[in-house]
Amino acid sequence: MGKTRMRQLATGATALLLCMGFVTVGSSFVNAGAASARTPGVTAKQITIGATVPLTGIASSGYNEVAKAANAVFNYVNKKGGVNGRKIKYITKDDCYNTPGLGCAGAGSTVAQTRTLLSAPVFATVGSLGTAPQDLVRSLLKSNGVPQLFVNSGSRDWNSPNTYPGLFGWQTSYNEEGKIFAKYINATYPTDNTCFLGQGDDFGADGLAGLVAGGVSPSDTQFYSVTALVLSQGASVGPYVAKFQSDKCTVVVLDTIPGATDAVLGAALKLGYSPHWVISSVGSDPVAVFAPFAKAGLPTSPEVGAISFSFLPTSASSSSWIPWMRKVLTADTAQFPGFNSTSILDGNMEYGIGWGVAFVEALKAAGKTFTRASFLKILTSTTFSQTPSLTPLRYTTSDHQGLNGGYLTRVTSGTALTTVDGKIYTTDSSPSGVVTSAKKLSSGIPSWLK
Amino acid sequence: MNWTRLKRREVLSTILIAVAVAITSLTTSSVRDGVAIGVMVAVAIIGIATLTANGLRATHPVLARAALTVVVLDVSLFATYFFSAITNFNLAIGAAMSIVLLGLSFLTGASGQISLGNGAFMGVGALIMGMWANHHTSTPIFITLLIAVAGGAFVGLLLGLPATRLRGPYLAGMTLAFAVAFTAIVNSFSSWTGADAGLQLPTAVTPPHWLSDFFSSQTTLLTVNSMWLADITILVTGVAFFFMANLFASRTGRTMRLIRDNDVAAELVGISLPRARVIAFMVSSAYAALGGALWTLINNSVSPSTYSLALSITILSLVVIGGIGTISGALIGGVIYAYSTNVISWFTAHTGINPQGNLANQLPGIIFGGLLIVTMLFAPMGIVGALRRLWSKRRARTAG
Amino acid sequence: MDPFLTSRIVSDILTGLTNGVIYGLLALSLVLVWRSTRILNFAQGAMPMLATYVGMVVFAHQLSYWTLVIVSIVAGFAIGGVTERVLVRHLYGKPEINPIVVMVGFLIVLEGVAAAIWSTTPRGTPSPFSPIDWQLNGRPIALSAFSVYEIVTALVVMIGVAALFRFTKLGLQLRASALAPEVSRLLGVRVSRMLTFGWILSTGVGTICTVLVASNFFTGLTPQVMDGIFAFGFIAAAVGGLDSPVGAIVSGVAIGIILQFVGDYVNSNAIMITALIILIISLMVRPNGLFTKSTARRV
Repeated sequence: MGKTRMRQLATGATALLLCMGFVTVGSSFVNAGAASARTPGVTAKQITIGATVPLTGIASSGYNEVAKAANAVFNYVNKKGGVNGRKIKYITKDDCYNTPGLGCAGAGSTVAQTRTLLSAPVFATVGSLGTAPQDLVRSLLKSNGVPQLFVNSGSRDWNSPNTYPGLFGWQTSYNEEGKIFAKYINATYPTDNTCFLGQGDDFGADGLAGLVAGGVSPSDTQFYSVTALVLSQGASVGPYVAKFQSDKCTVVVLDTIPGATDAVLGAALKLGYSPHWVISSVGSDPVAVFAPFAKAGLPTSPEVGAISFSFLPTSASSSSWIPWMRKVLTADTAQFPGFNSTSILDGNMEYGIGWGVAFVEALKAAGKTFTRASFLKILTSTTFSQTPSLTPLRYTTSDHQGLNGGYLTRVTSGTALTTVDGKIYTTDSSPSGVVTSAKKLSSGIPSWLK
Repeated sequence: MNWTRLKRREVLSTILIAVAVAITSLTTSSVRDGVAIGVMVAVAIIGIATLTANGLRATHPVLARAALTVVVLDVSLFATYFFSAITNFNLAIGAAMSIVLLGLSFLTGASGQISLGNGAFMGVGALIMGMWANHHTSTPIFITLLIAVAGGAFVGLLLGLPATRLRGPYLAGMTLAFAVAFTAIVNSFSSWTGADAGLQLPTAVTPPHWLSDFFSSQTTLLTVNSMWLADITILVTGVAFFFMANLFASRTGRTMRLIRDNDVAAELVGISLPRARVIAFMVSSAYAALGGALWTLINNSVSPSTYSLALSITILSLVVIGGIGTISGALIGGVIYAYSTNVISWFTAHTGINPQGNLANQLPGIIFGGLLIVTMLFAPMGIVGALRRLWSKRRARTAG
Repeated sequence: MDPFLTSRIVSDILTGLTNGVIYGLLALSLVLVWRSTRILNFAQGAMPMLATYVGMVVFAHQLSYWTLVIVSIVAGFAIGGVTERVLVRHLYGKPEINPIVVMVGFLIVLEGVAAAIWSTTPRGTPSPFSPIDWQLNGRPIALSAFSVYEIVTALVVMIGVAALFRFTKLGLQLRASALAPEVSRLLGVRVSRMLTFGWILSTGVGTICTVLVASNFFTGLTPQVMDGIFAFGFIAAAVGGLDSPVGAIVSGVAIGIILQFVGDYVNSNAIMITALIILIISLMVRPNGLFTKSTARRV
């Protein structure tokens, strides 16, 4: 080897050694200071939780209010001193329903945003939204030991206690909703041709399964892709609607997000097609659905007359929770500026408040000191009957689904729903579970929350 | 030997190191990360400066490349121990992307064909990894990666065959159509591919027990898991780059370059044009599929919507900006991809732009597109090409 | 007659025709820019999109729909001309990859700028023509006032462009500059001006196409609105041949109709797949397009 070769290698080796020394010394300073809390995300004064939600993009119309409403509950409770002395810090990250780039505000994917939350660290993810997005992070959260609580979706995927012991749903499942819809359709339109359009993931599949289990077999079933919907700006559902029309379907069941509901109603308008619409609770909120039509100058909502489902009291009902909800939202001037007793309390706000209260009550029941394991134990052994929902919230070690009933609603305008018969129906997710009507359960507000 | 030239090279290296450390400490989340990444970049520069010197490269080229690969891998793997979970994650994503960039760089630079569909080829590899892992949970990771690569090469063959007769704009258009059709193809086989919703890996990739036992109980699972993912990715990246470096220099690589520069002459010499073009296409799609499969591992899931036309365009932009037909260009592109969001958010924070506003959200796109235009107009050979030109100008000046 | 007109087949043909003329218009603008300057403009949808934003959003207060349309088209002319002078000038004679990359970059920048200024929320500027389908004895026929407006506009543009090329001196000069620039220069044709004019004209045609899309009640104007149409328009232009205006229009309409049938009788995923297959097959059979006479490459 020549002198030059030796020189070069010597230079390289020295630099390498110097740098490694640098790094080792530097990192020893940092590692000395690192001390993680025993339960990640929990300190004596604060508990940090997080969620990935669609703040922008196709699913944001309406859905972007849910986490805000839940946060309003947390802010309200924090002002009263928190739960067991701890304030709740809620971090929401925009995952744009995991359709990044399509009308999204440059947000990251669900996985990337979830990883950001994990690095915070969070005690658990609470209230992340979306069937498909949340399906993707189950094993990621499990492998990092992070509970995935109150997923905002009615899919049955959250009810797998053996595979995912830390995974919990909250709302009444699409399957159960479908069975209740089927009961209504069989009673009200026994001889009509029914068609079904669902989202091309477990949202649509579970809804259809429920419909079929309840005794309604649609003569035509179609599934739409969310990506295609966004790329075609709603035109991709047009052919499905046209097909339903030529099949002479007079009842159409939709398991769609509000953006897709809008596309379907718009296509039907263009074709002059007006069947009886039956729309899943998550896609029927009158305010969210009417918004784009209102903007285009349409006087009445094309959704008027549609049947839907709700597991929370309607905003016109006499439940004592409704004025409480208004109080909480009015108090949150940062997120809901100008909200007062005459503002519209829509379904998405109620949804957020519904599970927000559930979380706060679970936190209270967990006590002053808890770990992730002890918290989950409390969840599966307590019945929460004092939450805004119409039926009590109950989990067991073999059932992580959540609520199991609600009542049928009818859209009366671009802003309101009323109940169809006021009866609360409950069922289960077995293929042939009977739909029963329960007594109205009194779910007063716990005193410490008032 | 010329002592002044050597001294200059060392001084330049030291300055580059200082600059790299400064830039990275400004844009990463902690000082520790800044120092650690700065070290990594610095050593890479030194290693290249040392090993690309005269002598070793001419007499023992494969050995020189292997030595370089080993040095870089060694330092990188050592460094991942010190990085935070987020940095390791970004590193892994960037390394996987650099594999994809390398494939496209080869296609465009070495054989003169253009492809706007490499995002879709990434998606092919990513989906194969996801589908295989869901149906055959016991296959070792590296085998599944190879299966994904084979799948990517196969799809590259399917598209490369019609592509052989196409000139520039038509080829670009055909690959663009493939990129746009990719989602539709995935949705058509929804029962296997999970359609729109995507697939998760049923069990996340976690390090073996003997490795995780190295860490104290204070270290979170997240840190350990991220480090492991970064290590796997870096290892695979090193191997992929080593193969490509040898391919560039081999007879096949020379054949490709001849076709790019003068295809009529190549034909006269007896080279089969369609065959060479198809091989180049398959290599680039195989590399893209490998990058996509790695992304599935890192993200623990695959979402078809990730592999959109926008991604294909990003890949092309990074190849152009890094330097078409160069290996270091692909590395630079990978680093840019991994840290572009950090740099841009640093930029918006320091220039008073509202981070929630429309401008901030569109800034990555505007900057990328702008860079693409500017690079192609004023420095068509990218960063590496521009640096090389500067280097050779200085050389000419000192020699003459 | 009535059952025939409202039948599924005729409905698909009519809807396909309505979609197809849009693709054909965009394909025509691609052909115009290719024939005049030999560049495939990937931003051929994005430049008119910006022009349409200028017309429909910036000038939206108090002005009538038709004024906004004219303003958009004029903006389109301006954007086309400026782009050619400032950006495209530097690309003539460079390797094939350069203009492709630059125009793709331009596409991204334009979409980003439009989204930064006007956000990605769809904007509606409904036209005076109703989009509700006409009814024939209670069943819908796949035509509305709006779709007739689209078809008629496209026809007028196509005839206008054809007339320009065939019957005017300007058209002759344009064709000459593209085919034989040196000779044209010697004959006194201002070649560089013709190149600019080619871009002005093609962006104008593209803007008319975009205005039609943006005035659609059910679509609206977003920065990405022309992406899908560019894809189909490009396929139509490639299938018909980048040198053939007639080919572009015929392919556009044919593709629109074929894809409508595919979407209706198969499913919506098959649409893009079919488009890709059509493109691949046509390029394999005739790499330079179905409607061009095959030319030998100069060695």
